[in-house]
Amino acid sequence: MWQVIPGQDLRQWGWDDEYVVYNNLSGDTHLLSGDAMQVLLALRAAPADEATLAASLQEPGTEADISAAVTEILSELDKLSLIEFHEC
Amino acid sequence: MLSLASLSRRELGERLAGPGLDLGTGGFVTRLSSPIASVADGLHLLYGDYPVHPNGQFADFHVSLMPSPGLRRWYKPQVNFCYDGQPVFRPLPLDHAFPMFEWGLNWCVSAHANNHLIVHAAVLEKDGLAVILPAPPGSGKSTLCATLAHRGWRLLSDELALLRLSDGMVAPLPRPISLKNASIDIMRDYLTVPGQAAPVFSRPVSETSKGTVAHLKAPSAAVARAGELARPAWVIFPKWEAGSEAVLSPLPKARAFTGVASNAFNYSLTAAPGFELLGRIIDQCGCYEFRYSRMDEAVALFARLSSGLAPSAA
Repeated sequence: MWQVIPGQDLRQWGWDDEYVVYNNLSGDTHLLSGDAMQVLLALRAAPADEATLAASLQEPGTEADISAAVTEILSELDKLSLIEFHEC
Repeated sequence: MLSLASLSRRELGERLAGPGLDLGTGGFVTRLSSPIASVADGLHLLYGDYPVHPNGQFADFHVSLMPSPGLRRWYKPQVNFCYDGQPVFRPLPLDHAFPMFEWGLNWCVSAHANNHLIVHAAVLEKDGLAVILPAPPGSGKSTLCATLAHRGWRLLSDELALLRLSDGMVAPLPRPISLKNASIDIMRDYLTVPGQAAPVFSRPVSETSKGTVAHLKAPSAAVARAGELARPAWVIFPKWEAGSEAVLSPLPKARAFTGVASNAFNYSLTAAPGFELLGRIIDQCGCYEFRYSRMDEAVALFARLSSGLAPSAA
């Protein structure tokens, strides 16, 4: 399961589908796309595995497979120490 | 309050070489000592409008510019910039003493005024609204700043935008404008207008780490209004490009945020309050990139910007 690292406040400002997010645990500020922010906020709402996350973010009525994009975003957010993976 | 102009050159030199001069710049008082003639010359030329506070009261910064001791008194003499009695930089050739004072005073503020988010940026005001011009060296920031400061905008600072953490207002710090190399003669020519007082420059100093540098006296009206805050209204990243028309292009706000943060001296230190403050400022500001090569076009475009007209139509 992926989750937001405990203690992250996820302070954010967003304009035009781009966001800046303050990582209060590292002091870094990150520039995120709207999609990445959506993943982050979904994980803040509830930890999830990749498949569940992709399903929840799938636009209703669309067929496109977003699982590869979600995998890439999770990897990026992990590198930024905003989220972490833990075994159930 | 006395101004520095009330001291003769001889009195100024004696004060600097003796008890020190408590010089007010913006919201700061610097107790300055130096026996070096070029420091007194530069102050006498460029700082006449600034307040001199009575000795013995609180000073934010205790600064001295002192000749290096020993053999350096005779062989390639050098100057040290000392803060609280300790040198804080490598010594420079004695001839660089006045530019070193200017650079050192910038350091005093950028290293200590942490009740502000301090951005490496020029900042000017009109009708209570501030335009922040963050930019790395070589972008033409100071040239643009010098131009606007003599064409209807009030100089708040050439180097340091001080954004108060408490309310996001810009605290003015009007000081001489640092110009380099070709910009010195360009601005000397541009600002020399028949029938008006000639611009006042310090003696150009060559072979510094920045090339040849000279400082342009800040407009007296800007110094007199150093206590008047301004609200940020625009964040504009300038870039001088040879032959370019004046073009103002909207900049996505998240990019403007990271651009300002990367030009801030203490963004990391200010932590979450700095993040929140910068977010509010970017949110309330128009954010642009600006390319230009001709001063008159830049002046016209900024005039349209401040009057609320579509800047791209300049």
